[in-house]
This record gives sequence, C-alpha cells and structure tokens, in this order.
Amino acid sequence: MKQKITRRVMLSLAATTAALSLAACGGNVGGGSADGATFPSGPVTFTVGQAPGGSTDLIARAVAEGMAEKLGVAIPVVNKPGANGALATEEVAAMKADGQNLVLLNASLITITPLAVAADEAVSLDKLDVIAGLSQDDYVMVASTKSGVKSVEDLTKSTSKLSFGTTGVGTGSQLAQALLLAQAKVEGTIVPFDSGSPALTAVMGNQVQVSTVQLGEAKPQIDAGTVTPLVVFSSERNEFLPEVPTAIEAGYDVPVSQYRAIAAPKGLSAETKTALVESVKAAVAKDTYKSFNESTLLTPKEISGEEVVTEWNALAAKYKKLTEQYNISLASN
Amino acid sequence: MDFFGPVLDGFGVVLDPTNLLYCLLGVAIGMLIGVLPGLGPAATIAILLPMTYGVEPVTAIIMLAGIFYGAQYGGTITSVLLRIPGEASSVVTVFDGYVLAKQGKAGTALGIAAIGSFIGGTVGIIGLTFLAPLVAGFALDFGPPEYTALALLGILLVATISGGSKIKALIAAAFGLFLATVGRDIFTGAERFTFDNLSLADGIDFVPIAMGLFGLGEILYNLEERHRAAAAPVAVANVWPSRKDLKQSSGAIGRGSVLGFFLGILPGGGATIASLAAYAVEKKRAKDPSRFGKGAIEGVAGPESANNAAATSSFIPLLTLGIPANATMAIIFGALLIQGVTPGPQLITEQPELFWGVVNSMYIGNILLLIMSIPLVGLFVRILRIRGAILAPITALITMLGAYTIRNSMFDVMLVVLFGALGYLMKKFGFEPGPLVLAFVLGSLLESSLRRSLLVLEGDPTGFFTRPISGTLLVIFVMVAVWPMVKTVMNKRKKANALSLETKVKEKV
Repeated sequence: MKQKITRRVMLSLAATTAALSLAACGGNVGGGSADGATFPSGPVTFTVGQAPGGSTDLIARAVAEGMAEKLGVAIPVVNKPGANGALATEEVAAMKADGQNLVLLNASLITITPLAVAADEAVSLDKLDVIAGLSQDDYVMVASTKSGVKSVEDLTKSTSKLSFGTTGVGTGSQLAQALLLAQAKVEGTIVPFDSGSPALTAVMGNQVQVSTVQLGEAKPQIDAGTVTPLVVFSSERNEFLPEVPTAIEAGYDVPVSQYRAIAAPKGLSAETKTALVESVKAAVAKDTYKSFNESTLLTPKEISGEEVVTEWNALAAKYKKLTEQYNISLASN
Repeated sequence: MDFFGPVLDGFGVVLDPTNLLYCLLGVAIGMLIGVLPGLGPAATIAILLPMTYGVEPVTAIIMLAGIFYGAQYGGTITSVLLRIPGEASSVVTVFDGYVLAKQGKAGTALGIAAIGSFIGGTVGIIGLTFLAPLVAGFALDFGPPEYTALALLGILLVATISGGSKIKALIAAAFGLFLATVGRDIFTGAERFTFDNLSLADGIDFVPIAMGLFGLGEILYNLEERHRAAAAPVAVANVWPSRKDLKQSSGAIGRGSVLGFFLGILPGGGATIASLAAYAVEKKRAKDPSRFGKGAIEGVAGPESANNAAATSSFIPLLTLGIPANATMAIIFGALLIQGVTPGPQLITEQPELFWGVVNSMYIGNILLLIMSIPLVGLFVRILRIRGAILAPITALITMLGAYTIRNSMFDVMLVVLFGALGYLMKKFGFEPGPLVLAFVLGSLLESSLRRSLLVLEGDPTGFFTRPISGTLLVIFVMVAVWPMVKTVMNKRKKANALSLETKVKEKV
C-alpha cells in the first residue's frame, strides 16, 4: 500500500513538473473564438529569433507587456533562436495573416546579414507586414587602455598592426568596423567572436586592441575607464555618450545602428493592423517601457511600419553599395 | 574592519525576511528546473525577470542567483537516476552515478553529490568573498591561445577518462568533433553540413545530443534487454551514504572544489572542463583506476563539487569586472541594468550592499539547498522502484520536452530520436557516449579558439608556447599525453630487469 502511494506521488510530481515547464514556456492553448474573424481571437504569440535574456528578447518582453494590456489577451514571448533570427522570421512569415502571430525583427537581419550569407538564405521584408518601429541600439568602437589608442586618428597613425574584434559574421559590428577601416585606410586583423561579451572581454585584456560592440554592453566599462570609446556609428551623437564623436563627424560615411521593429505575416486586414498599431502605441507610451529603454541604453525610434520598410530598404541598398565601393566582403576575412 | 564592515553589513541585508524569502524561492525554483533537462536557468530567469521589476535590486539578484546555483543541484538528480545529464558539466557525473544507482546505491550517489555540491559551493563563496578582486584578472589573461590550450587539454582528458576500449573511445570522440563542425562557419559565414536547413545554421545543440545518446539510447537498450531476461527490480540498498563513503570521497570533494573554483572564473566552458578535470584527477589518483565507470563514489563526488564551485565562481567576472561568464550571467547582467545598477568594475565600491548582499545570500542559499535535498534524496531514490514500463515512457517524455524547450522547435525533438537510435547502437556495439558528447562540447571551443589565436598571432604558432599561461597548459598537455607511455616503458624495463636478474640467478645456480 505504501509503495502504491509513493508511486502515485511520484507520478503526480512528474506530471506537475511537466505542466510547469509547459506553462513556463508559454503553452499557448485554446481561448477565444475558433473562426478568427475578430481580432484578437486568443493569445497572440510573439516570436523572438534570439535566445532569452539578450537585448532583443528583453525588448520583446517589455513591449509585449504593454500590448497585452491594451489588446486584453496574453502575449507570450516564444524564443526560437537560429541563423541570426532568420529561422523565426521565415517561420512567422509563412503563417496565416490573422495577427495572432508576431515576430520581433532586427534590422541587421534584413540589411547586413544578406551581405554575408548565400542569396537564398537572405531574408527580405516582402513577406512581412511591418507593424511599427521600436528603438535604436548603437554600436561603439572601444580600444584597450594598454593599446594607447584614444581616437580614430590614433588608429590611422598606428605603426604596429592592430587586431579588431567583432561580434560575429553578418553583424553591424563587423560591417561598421570594416567600413571605417577601409575608409580610413587602416590595415588590421579582423577577429570575429561569438558575441559581444567575449569581444569586449578581449579588449579589456588587450587580447585584441579594438572591438566594436553594442553600447549597452560597453557602457559600464567605458564609465569605469577600463576601455576607451573611439566613435559611435549612429548618424547623430548618442544621448548616453554625448562626448563621443560619431564616425560621420570624424569624416567617415558609416551610419550603422541596430534597429528593431515588430512585424506580422503579409496580408493583415486593415482592422487587425490598426488594432496592433494602436496596441504598440499604447505600450511604448507607458512609463515602465520608457524607463526600460533608458536603463538598457536604447534610443526610442517609434516610427510607422511604412517608414521602417523605406528606411531599412534604403540602408540595405546603401550598405551593398558601400561594401562594393570599398571592396569589402563580409563573408571572408 | 575596512574589509569586514561591508561583509557583515551584507549579512544584515540577507537576513532581512523578504530577502530570505526570495532566496528560498530562487533556490527552490532552481532545483525544480534543474531536474528538468532542457529548461535551463537562463531561460527560466528570462521568463521570471518581470517578477523582479517591483522589488529592490539586491532582492531580485538574490533570487536570480539562487535559480542559477539551485539548478546545479537539481541537475545531478536526473543524471544519476535516469542517465540524462541536463548540462555539459554534469555529463561525467553520469559515468559512475548511474552505475551506482543501478547497483542500488542511488542514495549514496545523491547524498554524496548533495554534500559535495554544498562544500563545493561554499568553497566557491569563500573564494568569492576573499579572493574575488585578486583572481578576477585571471579571466582577462585568458586570450584565444589560452582557450586553445585548455580545450586541447580537455579533449585529452576525455580520452583518458573513458573506461572501455581506447580505440572505440577515440572513434566516438572523433565523431563528436565532427558533429561540432556542423553549422554556419562563425568566421566566414560558409554553410557546413547544414543541407540548406536553417535549423542547422547555428549547429546542433548539446541538449538533443546528450538527451538522445544517454537518455533515449539507454531506454531503447533496456527494452531489448527486457525481452531476453526478466529484469530484477533494483533493490534500494541504502538511502544514506555510509561513513566509509564519506571518508572515501572527502579528498575528491576537496580537490574538486578547488579545481572548480579556479576554472569556473573563465568565461566559456570553465565548468565543463572543471568537472572533467576533477574526474580525471580522481581516476589518476585512485589505487585501482579500473573501479571508475563501474560505480566509484569519487567519480560522483569530484565532478559534482567541481561544477558547483565553478557555478559560484562564475559570478566573479560579472560582479567584479562586469563580464558575464555564461548565458545565465548575461541575463543577470541585463537584470542589473534594468534595475538601474551598472554591473561593472565599480559595483563593489559603489554598491557594497548589493555586492555583499548577493554574495552572502549564497551561503544561506547553499544551506537551504542542502536542507532541501537531503529529504528529497529519500523521495527521489524511490523513482527507481517504479516499473520500467512506466518509468521509461516518462523519461522519454522528459527528454523530448527538454529538447523542445531549448528553442521551441520540433526539429530538436527529431534530433533526440535520431541520437537516441545512435545511442542504442553505440551501446550495443560497446561504444561509450561520454567521449562523443564531451568532444562535441570542447570541439567547437577548440576550433574557434585556434582559428582566433592564429589570427591574433598572425599565423605564427610559436606564440602558443611563448605566452606564459598557454605555454604552461601545453606543457601539462604533453606531460599528461606522454606519461602513460613512459610508465609502460618503465614497467617493461622493470620486468625485463627482473627477468634478466632471474635468469642470472638461475645461471649461477
């Protein structure tokens, strides 16, 4: 008898843990009308093509909270990392255009990654309805204190060959740095790392002399004086780093930032799109969202979906032209 | 007093009832998700992050940290009982832990693992308290050449720890290295063995491989066994480790803790190499190394102490330098930013309450975990009394679920099935999955570090030897590699000497 009870306890324990894990990853079952004529007809799934905890994921979670409040349904964030976000984007693009599935887009996937991967793996905006733009995340070039480099000018004057860390192939970090070096005629060794954190760590230990990383990661080190900021790659000075010049000010045509936007499969009905646009507006107007942007050093860029399409396509064309002009290939170092 | 003042104030912070409650909540959640392979601490913390917005920064981080080290405790349970290691750092625990469980000594294994984890964790915190600023620079001195040397040493250790046929272990390890090459090349963007499938662009994840080879492979193999002979139910011989077990593993716990502490400071792969090294050290030191892989308690004690010490010391780069050492630390980094706290070199001077509050909460958290895990050991060992017909499908379900939660993708579930079939065949033909899985984990570290080193060193391989740390590691590598050969040669000579002496004696007679 005792044995039977324990067995039952164990079984229910296993069942509870299973249920918990399902709930934790946002088990998205049931609710709402079945025909999907009205929007929202149940929880809206928000897919993120990056791992949980990264800046892209945090942005999605912050905006989803406000949107859920406005739409009156749950908006679970589901992470499907793979191929810089291409996997998640392709998957959502192929879904029914009923507004029940959204994806968080990184501009680099549309504007930069196509320069580094095979043509059939490039993602375009054609298959998507962009709902709204969210924010801008800037790249900053930092030098190790031991290198003695304090400005872009020092780079051009350096007599020794320097090495430059990037956050990976097909990223804004790689493109921005390559364009700057080409325009400034600086010879250097490009060293790709897996992500921002190891690239920054390598500069701190002077394993490489310079790296280009996202501001949110570099800011604590800049504040502590362990790395020296050289330039930011935004077209205007970054509000969180007002003393650091932009690459454009320094005389180089390198406007590279990471932008983020929300998109849905192509072909949303006008009402659904309006409802989604309104919910994003309500979400970004919230104080908690605004302070989230501030604490994670993001510059709001809350533009319409149409503007996002125009701007991103223009950037993609510009990057293509610049890389051809300076004979840069992101696919091989 | 300069030093101890803030440290003692930190205890004041922890003993605040709210903080204690969040600490308990954190470690309890951590332990629970640790039992579920796949749903790791990183994903859990990301999901629970909004819960922490409303509380004080120190309270939030105490809870999030608790989830992380609590998960390390929980991970052991599935490794020992069901042969499914949830993380790369608990793969070596499976070698002897599961065998012990099959021998009816699951309680011994889990008990020793809990005690080892507690001691390892505590050694890690003491190190964190007193040595953090001193050893933090260690993480910065590790450049690409040093990681290359460390990965090489790790792969060599994989070869030495396997118990069965050396040739088969090498074949399995080589296959693991091959699997590590799948995915988009991180240096050139070239597609390698991805067959135009976007799901393979980032390579294969550790979890589907480990779940398939260890978990599902074992289930399939047991199914076949059951048809041959009626399996005797596992007798649970004892629930608690005996005094003898404790005595036998005390050295292993001590050595594992120290190894884990130092290797854990390194961002990327530190904990895995620490557990591997701890196992290798114990095997080398043992009077009878053949016991390993057949249920040696030191084989559980060493690696478990090491991976818990490493989990604790991985906080050092984050809290003292502002560098996240792994995915979970990266999320805690983000959590600190959202709380308005800048995680960086100035944290310890600007926010001593937060720093010491979090560090000291780990002492309490570890004690809570030990208290929680001891009664749970008694409960968990009863899992083994469940009939195979019920336990096997549940285990299979857990492995599939674990693989699915990694990327919310059915592709990974299919991979588990595929690797499950491979694991079954490997077991049938006498190949161990351990070398494959560990070589897979270290292979990508080796490849990327080597290529990065050659870029930094401008293609000049002598740089590996002239840099002090990588030079030392390579010397250790050569020693570990050559020693068995030297030993064999010396043994042969001794025998030959003895033999010639004997003949001489005979001749005289």
